[in-house]
Amino acid sequence: MTKSNKAYNSFEVAQSQFDRVADLLDLKAATRELLRSPLREYSFAIPVRMDDGSVQVFRAFRVQHNDARGPSKGGIRFHPLETQDTVRALAMWMTWKCAVVDIPLGGAKGGVICDPHHLSAREQELVCRGWVRQIVKNVGPTIDVPAPDVMTSAQHMTWMLDEFEAVTGSRAPGFITGKPISLGGSQGRKEATGYGLVFTLREALREMGLRPEDTVASVQGFGNVAQYAIELFTQIGGRVEAVSCWDQADSTSYTYRKKGGIDLAELRAIADPFGGIHSGRAIELGYEKLSGDAWIEQDVDILIPAALENAIRADNVGQIGKRVRIVAEGANGPTTPEADSALKDRGIFVLPDLLANAGGVTCSYFEQVQSNMNYYWAKDEVLGKLDVKMTSAFLAVHELARKQKLYMRDAAYVIAVTRVAEACHDRGWV
Amino acid sequence: MADNEPGRACSIPYFSRDFLRSSARLSRIGEGALGGKGTGLARIDSLLSRPDIQERLAPYEARIPRTVVLATGVFDSFVERNGLAQFATSADPDPVVARAFQNAVLPPEVLGDLRALIDGVRVPLAVRSSSLLEDSLSRPFAGVYATKMTPNNQADPDERFRKFVEAVKLVYASTYYLGAKAYGRSVARSLPSEKMAVVIQEVVGSRHGPRFYPRVSAVARSHDFYAAGAARPEEGVVSLALGLGKTIVDGGACWTYSPAHPRVPPPYGSNRDLLRMSQSRFWAVNMGSPPVYDPLAEEEYLVQSSLQEAEYDRVTDDLASTYDASSDRIYLGVGREGPRVLDFGPLLRLGGSPFSTALRELVSACREYVDAQVELELACDWSDSRSAPLLGVVQVRPMLVADGDTSISVDDLTDSTNILGASHAVGHGFLETADVVYVRPDTFDPRETVQIAEEVAGLNRDLVEKGRPYLLIGFGRWGTTDPWGGIPVRWEQVGGARAIVEVSLPSFRAAPSQGSHFFHNVTSLQVLYLGVVESESERIDWSLLERGKEVARTDHVTHVRLDSPVRVEVDGRNGRGRVCPVDPRGLPGADGSRTESADGND
Repeated sequence: MTKSNKAYNSFEVAQSQFDRVADLLDLKAATRELLRSPLREYSFAIPVRMDDGSVQVFRAFRVQHNDARGPSKGGIRFHPLETQDTVRALAMWMTWKCAVVDIPLGGAKGGVICDPHHLSAREQELVCRGWVRQIVKNVGPTIDVPAPDVMTSAQHMTWMLDEFEAVTGSRAPGFITGKPISLGGSQGRKEATGYGLVFTLREALREMGLRPEDTVASVQGFGNVAQYAIELFTQIGGRVEAVSCWDQADSTSYTYRKKGGIDLAELRAIADPFGGIHSGRAIELGYEKLSGDAWIEQDVDILIPAALENAIRADNVGQIGKRVRIVAEGANGPTTPEADSALKDRGIFVLPDLLANAGGVTCSYFEQVQSNMNYYWAKDEVLGKLDVKMTSAFLAVHELARKQKLYMRDAAYVIAVTRVAEACHDRGWV
Repeated sequence: MADNEPGRACSIPYFSRDFLRSSARLSRIGEGALGGKGTGLARIDSLLSRPDIQERLAPYEARIPRTVVLATGVFDSFVERNGLAQFATSADPDPVVARAFQNAVLPPEVLGDLRALIDGVRVPLAVRSSSLLEDSLSRPFAGVYATKMTPNNQADPDERFRKFVEAVKLVYASTYYLGAKAYGRSVARSLPSEKMAVVIQEVVGSRHGPRFYPRVSAVARSHDFYAAGAARPEEGVVSLALGLGKTIVDGGACWTYSPAHPRVPPPYGSNRDLLRMSQSRFWAVNMGSPPVYDPLAEEEYLVQSSLQEAEYDRVTDDLASTYDASSDRIYLGVGREGPRVLDFGPLLRLGGSPFSTALRELVSACREYVDAQVELELACDWSDSRSAPLLGVVQVRPMLVADGDTSISVDDLTDSTNILGASHAVGHGFLETADVVYVRPDTFDPRETVQIAEEVAGLNRDLVEKGRPYLLIGFGRWGTTDPWGGIPVRWEQVGGARAIVEVSLPSFRAAPSQGSHFFHNVTSLQVLYLGVVESESERIDWSLLERGKEVARTDHVTHVRLDSPVRVEVDGRNGRGRVCPVDPRGLPGADGSRTESADGND
């Protein structure tokens, strides 16, 4: 979706962010060393007999960055450009994310180098089952709990759960989250990340004295996070004028714009399951078709990058319109450090990813709790708790930023890293 | 004051997560209107914040309970997003509507605020309807919609939140209950235009073991339609009950008196009668063992207890007196052995009754502030640990005093052409109708009042559908919840009646329905209300009704259509009323041939 940038390395970004906070906190050398790299990394191969009878070997990873505060938690990504460094970075961000919203979990991430667009359902099932067989001794409800992520879904989680239970001879719904409701999934899970982002955005607007109904947003991405963020944002009165998405047929991204506000329902009706909007039908519905990067140039108050990392970079941060006052990061690591400095210099209020998109992991945690209790909560209950958790986290971060005159991202990191460092210290690790 | 007009939205701050740590008493969640109760409370809150008002009420302190209003926009979103609008016009039974609402999801944008509220509050909560039409001056919906209280005392906040959300959904569902729709038709309102706000209030009171309740609940009105003896209508009237106000608003036994004459007891025939007729049970929030799970029941978390239990809680010390059977006397207080009488004697008679003085001042201040006659619902509580006794203003609504030019003299009451004359009537004006629904005296049985209520409801439904206003005549207190005290109809079951007659037989006497939701509807909907105590001077000529054309007949109730309409008149200035023929010659029996014809039919 974004321009390729070979210099970009997620893990280096994550480490540089951590280093800055470690300096701010004056962390001891041992603590610093422990936290700037993962505790455990697993790299393995998954051989799969393909539909045509050939055998293909897929490289896969699981990285457990830190579990001092509780079992590790993190998604599994299927992506052709997956790298171990990307997974490391995402695992580290998961640690901070769980800590900033104060849920008793550590951070992990997994990935398989594959493109599900080019795999049949059977082949995807075999990848899932193979992934579990390779790592089964090192994951589980009390060790490490996977979840869906980029290009993985509830179906993939169901195959993985089934394999885990078959191998261990148990019923363990708490092994994995993002399950279908019928198999112990949580109400509100699909809305959680997008809604969570808007809960923090709502509080940010309140702090800035802005009313949602007076604001306009532009969104990068039209996947699950983006769609539910748009849904709740419009329900509280806001307007979204542009969304960008990946076009699988053209192998590029486009931005679709409608002055006066997009209609979420009509775009959903012409989108594929991965969030790709049908180009021709969008134009028929009166949308302007712009370049993929045009989402960042819009004359709006709020930018919501809700697709992949590396979306706001040094080369495009200057294109952000003068009217923009808030960047709410729905994706993981969408802003490079250089671009982040530019945002900071411009006085743009940033809702950092580890806070703004923590709704997903928070709801995953709720699902884990329900599964381990073999009980369920009503949707009102899940979303009510989610709002309280997200709002409390925002207020804590904002309060620290205000008191210590910190950038919001730094304040979020300070809170998260402090909590994890204290847990490591309390356990006697450092 | 600019915002005095009924229904006008008042500006109150939006809920913030530190509301519970602030001194603010009122907050709102969501967009839209606050509804009748919400608007009334917002106006009174600003009045009660004035130091000069509090000085007038000393030693009492008056304030509204801490309140959050879920504005009507939340209801709109809830109904729209969950596809519930169909129930606005459907004929689905109430449980079907209630279950559909329970299964729906509240708008996510308000859930966090509600959750934060529940996380911070640990006293029982009252979740009340506050519709746009309810409590408005011209068309009250008082008592039509649900109110639910939750103990809110579970250790687990998840549990408290669940119970609370169920209560909100129950109140929402009651907007589309059959009773509400029937009521809407009876006042010619279009239900789809109805919008519901919800008032969430901390319940005023104290915990006494497994019960939570205020010492005294009161309904205080600035105008007394039943003023008698030395009391004057403009001095107002107060009804008191121990425990939650449900006793009063449901028309149960309570203590009704003039606040200007707090020592004058209600007109009971004897002290033995007083003992028998005064309040003997009270409502409280159940803080003890969890009840049977029933989210569709308004009273799920309420419990009715006896006076003995209140005495055990030591709350009757300044509320009750003691009956001495040997002397047939009532002694002030509970210092001696004997049956207790809840006459609020110590509170009203000792020390110049500062309680009554404070109530009068409060009602007077509210009436001046809103520039209209008002009705206040209060919950009053005091304890050794609380610095000032509290008058919690739970609701404020305007009440109607009709104007008109009807005049009835004493002689008019005994006019030979009258069907009935009444020296105690409410309202002002007249109604002409040929339709009369009456409970037949020969078949009336106090043991069958519940069935009679159903029969009346069926006839009412037919008349409402045909758009025919009618005169209703029956025995005992209409709208009571006590089936032994009268006919226990809900308002919507008689909503088509434009004139109501309450007949007390020598064997079946009942105090008027003062203070209840039913009575509020009677007065505010300008229904003419006549109380007849059958005696030498007041009697009903049943034979004239029996000779009308019978339209429908049930076991106990008859609907007749008279050849010539009758005129129901009430003179609100002297409280007299009568029912007489518009044209005496047109009445059956007044003309020889008609009488013969009628007799011939027999």
